[in-house]
Amino acid sequence: MSDMFHLGWFGSFIPTTWTSGWDGTDAADWLNGRFYVDKVRTLERACFDFILFEDSSMVSDTYGGSSEATLKRGGWAPKGDPMALAPILARATERIGISITASTSFYPPWMLARSIATLDHLSRGRVGWNIVTSSEDLAAKNFGMDALPPHDERYARADEYVDLVTRLWDSWDADALVMDRERGVYVDHTKVRPIDFVGKYYRSRGPLNTLRPPQGRPVLTQAGGSPAGRRFASRYADMVMALPKGVPAMKEYRDDIRARAAAEGRDPDSVKVMYVVSPILGETHQHALDRKAQKDAAVRAHPEGQLIGWSGSMEIDFSTFDLDEPLPDDVQTNGHQSTLANFRKWANGRTLREACVAYRTESMELIGTPDEVAAQMGEAMEEVGGDGFLIWNQPHNRRYIGEIADGLVPALQKRGLMRTGYGHEHFRDNLLEF
Amino acid sequence: MTTPVDQRFHLAWFKSFTPHDWRSTWSGSEERDWMNGDSHVDFLQALERARFDFLMLEDSLMVSDTYAGTAEASLAQGGYAPKGDPALLASMLLSETRRIGVIATMSSTFVPPWLLARMSATIDHLSGGRFGWNCVTSSENRAAQNFGMDALPPHDERYERAHEYVDLVTQLWDSWEDGAVVMDEESNTYVDHTKVHPIHFEGRWHRSRGPLNLPRPPQGHPVICQAGGSPAGKAFAAGNADVLLSLPKGLADMKRYRDDIRDLAEKAGRDPDDIKVMYIISPILADTDDEAREIQAAMNANVEAGIKAQMVNWSATMEIDFSRFDLDRPLPDDATTNGHQSTLSTFRRFAAGRTLREAFTAYRTEAIEVVGSPATAADTLQEAMEFVGGDGFLVMGPTNRRYVHEITEGLVPELQRRGLVRTEYAGAQLRDHLREF
Amino acid sequence: MTSRMFHLGWFLGNGFGVQAWNQEWAGTGATDWMMPDQYIDLARSIERGGFDFLMMEDSVQIPNAYRGSSEYYLRTASAAPKQDPAVLAGILSQFTDQVGIVATLTTTFYHPFTVARMMSTLDHVSRGRIGWNIVTGSSTYAAKNFGFDMPEHDLRYEMADEFVELACKLWDSWEPDAVLADVEKGVYADHTKVHTLDFEGKFYSSRGPLNTTPSPQGRPVFLQAGGSEKGKDLAAKYVEAIIANPPGVEKMKAYREDIRRRAVEHGRDPDSIKVMYLVSPVFGETDAEAEEKLARRDRAKESNIEGLLAGRSHLASIDLSRFPLDEPLPDDLISNGHRSSFANFKGDGTQTLRERILAHSATDAVHLCGTPVTVAAQMDEIMQEVGGDGFLIVGTPMHRRYVAEVTDGLSPALRRRGLIRDHFEHRLLRDNLLAF
Repeated sequence: MSDMFHLGWFGSFIPTTWTSGWDGTDAADWLNGRFYVDKVRTLERACFDFILFEDSSMVSDTYGGSSEATLKRGGWAPKGDPMALAPILARATERIGISITASTSFYPPWMLARSIATLDHLSRGRVGWNIVTSSEDLAAKNFGMDALPPHDERYARADEYVDLVTRLWDSWDADALVMDRERGVYVDHTKVRPIDFVGKYYRSRGPLNTLRPPQGRPVLTQAGGSPAGRRFASRYADMVMALPKGVPAMKEYRDDIRARAAAEGRDPDSVKVMYVVSPILGETHQHALDRKAQKDAAVRAHPEGQLIGWSGSMEIDFSTFDLDEPLPDDVQTNGHQSTLANFRKWANGRTLREACVAYRTESMELIGTPDEVAAQMGEAMEEVGGDGFLIWNQPHNRRYIGEIADGLVPALQKRGLMRTGYGHEHFRDNLLEF
Repeated sequence: MTTPVDQRFHLAWFKSFTPHDWRSTWSGSEERDWMNGDSHVDFLQALERARFDFLMLEDSLMVSDTYAGTAEASLAQGGYAPKGDPALLASMLLSETRRIGVIATMSSTFVPPWLLARMSATIDHLSGGRFGWNCVTSSENRAAQNFGMDALPPHDERYERAHEYVDLVTQLWDSWEDGAVVMDEESNTYVDHTKVHPIHFEGRWHRSRGPLNLPRPPQGHPVICQAGGSPAGKAFAAGNADVLLSLPKGLADMKRYRDDIRDLAEKAGRDPDDIKVMYIISPILADTDDEAREIQAAMNANVEAGIKAQMVNWSATMEIDFSRFDLDRPLPDDATTNGHQSTLSTFRRFAAGRTLREAFTAYRTEAIEVVGSPATAADTLQEAMEFVGGDGFLVMGPTNRRYVHEITEGLVPELQRRGLVRTEYAGAQLRDHLREF
Repeated sequence: MTSRMFHLGWFLGNGFGVQAWNQEWAGTGATDWMMPDQYIDLARSIERGGFDFLMMEDSVQIPNAYRGSSEYYLRTASAAPKQDPAVLAGILSQFTDQVGIVATLTTTFYHPFTVARMMSTLDHVSRGRIGWNIVTGSSTYAAKNFGFDMPEHDLRYEMADEFVELACKLWDSWEPDAVLADVEKGVYADHTKVHTLDFEGKFYSSRGPLNTTPSPQGRPVFLQAGGSEKGKDLAAKYVEAIIANPPGVEKMKAYREDIRRRAVEHGRDPDSIKVMYLVSPVFGETDAEAEEKLARRDRAKESNIEGLLAGRSHLASIDLSRFPLDEPLPDDLISNGHRSSFANFKGDGTQTLRERILAHSATDAVHLCGTPVTVAAQMDEIMQEVGGDGFLIVGTPMHRRYVAEVTDGLSPALRRRGLIRDHFEHRLLRDNLLAF
């Protein structure tokens, strides 16, 4: 059995860090795409399975009732459309997968099916669709709705949505393209069928008007912690992005997803569970600890950055709470329910300030030299059973990407924990290679 | 002292994200791989070398089965479908070029306005201001059915909706003031929130709170292109468009159409020079005039195949099943469409007193016929522009590499030698190109 | 006889020089010839079209042969100006994945160490797709640019032989497993496997070793265009592909058999040397259109005898303006430049200079003319007669429209007949060239 696990990168199409001292001109130029081209080429050189782009469709003004804090820091917005960036990244690379977030609540399904199919062609079979149902009423308002449907209904809709989209991809047989010069037949119409889909929430006649995607079904990725999310993930996803805290929770989560997948009649090995981490690397162990301490001190002094993030994702105005008290018990959200529940459980009485310091968007803390961190990752995977990690941009600049790609990755490769080349041309084939 | 008159006109190419000319002698080896983008990148680079203003990518959102009630003929031809998403291709193409613009078609009837505003703003940023949106209202019920509707809204209502849609989209683009990104280290401020405004748009058909979640596009508003020939379409275009793809045939109609649009634009309070009217041509070029005419004759000789191909396409765009009609009689009076109305009425005018066979044999999409050596073709274009007054041509033709190179390496240098088209881009953005002369 | 697959190469006859520039369809050739763009398009196009390689000719002088002046050459941009093809080879390698790239480098003007290192570097950066077209140079004026008089024809070949021998030794100066790149032990290369040569030849000496690591192909693929006895011997001894233009199918067949026989004498498998014939097919939508085009070209030739003479003067390093047009050339006139090609051109003395210059093509082995389908059939027939091994397309006039006619018209037609590759079996140029 292979000890190898997968690496992906998780981030957004946003400005880089701009006050870290290692930001070059990227924070000003990020919308020309060049930083992202360089980034994804670096990750391809480092044999990452894929890069995944998160997305959202709003300028949050939850924190303090104004967009001031969120725009001032430039974390949540501005944010470019990752769908428009993806073709450029595909053109600049050959093997790495590119997964793009698109919301089932806002995209017309036929349009999404065609866009993703087009991207799969443009990337020669390397695209993924990261399925989100969206969680912010503010985004819904941009699309002319007053609010999002309730959480569980969103998943019911998403279920139908994904069913419809896959049927659209399947509306062309793989051998529909015949190109018979003699008879003058480009496409054999008997291999292209309307789907006449009539669901509870969606209707579409079909067929799609474009060729079947090279992967047949582009890779589906998803992040879901709630029971509805887990059920959804185990039914459809090729890769589940997960944030359980600590190795036992990671293992519990993976076992659960695999059991659910098996219950859905799927081979559990066809669902990869990957955990979000943000390793802090140093020249020496002490150097890494120092960097961590510096980060914590910075957050303790200015916890707003973290609070703005929570305000945006949970749509709760954290500016109204006392920083040196725990989160009040009566706070509710219609957004990422599992995020709030996990937050409460994890915060466990911490003051908000200390919660900001302690909180990290990652499943486990990884601190040390590249070799030490590689060892920690290997040990964790041995206990959990698989399937890999998603590196989250922290900090979002070239220097950090270089530390991971040219420091951590060679250390993992030396231990035989990570691929040194791509076995296949398609994203899914690489994801399922081990 | 008088300055010489700038006689220059604009060139662009009109194409869909569909297979290249897969059956011709020069079809190459990309009939299968056209969707990976390679051949389109080469194509756009050729147009940029020839200093075209832009490539315009048409779109439609269905597999047509109107002709004889089946998709057979339409798919066999491979002209209408398969077709990839043009906005995504545009983004890739722009990343492989530096100056030329790309205009992608997106439907105001089917794409949520916020998505369109954001997608086009993003591509405009990624390309340094070289993106345009060809605003169509869509014309096929089959497309509507793909989006869960039974049928399209009626023709004129689609234009009313489109008016509101463009208003909303431009407000979203404008929801970030220029200079909102300040990156002030002192105050630790990346974006000045006082320069980013919700729009609280409440229209009859569309609503959106805004603001958009990214800075104002480099062009402010990406270029807007339009193709309306109906009265509603023309009024819409005169009010909103930077560039117009127009359908009239023959010099007199071309001139009348342009004068009309410029008049409407002026009445809408715009500088008429800010709207460029471009006419479709499909030049047939060869080493000598005789040879070009021989090629044309050979094309015309294959009448039956040509008629069938046209009828299949017309059936798709009009959603009228032309297979039902007797080819040796005129088009029945009761044939109507909710789709491309102006195209149908232009055709009716053209076909008056002709049988369908005669009409389809004679009908051309192009505004004027351009046949001959590059020098002769240049004469034709020069004379046309002198008569019409402006503003340029959209080439529509097979995109096999040989044909593309006949235009870009044959016709264009000849036009350049005469000072009729640009030899270098003056500006960096697409709108700069359009307003350069 | 049955059809067998054959190879295609593109012969860039004017090197990295001015291609079509004042002809129809020349595009921006007049102003942009020195930029890599049209060559990138060309290389990508022939890669799509299933060609084994692009070969770039070279010469290193502004010709002066005709009327003892550079006027004609510079006025018409013939054979000059011209840039370094090795630089272009490096660029092209980065814009292609599979097609081979062959650069011409003249043994007489370079030191073997320079060529060995340059080729090794190019082979690395192209991932094993580089070829070297070995020429000995032919022009007096070129030699003068390097500060000496052109050595005599046969002597040049003797020098070339030693040159290649030394270059091979340099390429072999690193044992294949000399590079360890052992990160753990901190050892990059094992010095005991990197050897000095202390080569002392008749013409060249070099201490060695080479200061680059062994490249993917070990050494570049060798090409050569020898028609003279000495040239053919050099080819039979070393090269993997030979560029040939004996006129007519009979001579093509005889030439190939001769080369294969010589290869066997040198102890080589005759299938390891590919004989490829120069052709410039003329295309049209119909056969008639192509014939008309050819006829137009022939008429144009008649009104451009000066140009033909100037071109031939340059190749032969002989001023042909000195000879009367309506008499045969003197019997004793021989070229110290392209010797065998000039002898072929001169003929047997029964035709006048005017007749020879109009009738004799500097490049084509056979005339190919028609639609792509017609030309594909012609090529099929010729190869069946000759036995192999393929064609080198000479793009004249070399512009994008012509390239498209070949790669998007002819290539698909050949593929439909199963005559050329529809994919590359291997990563290395040598492996592809010897695949069939």
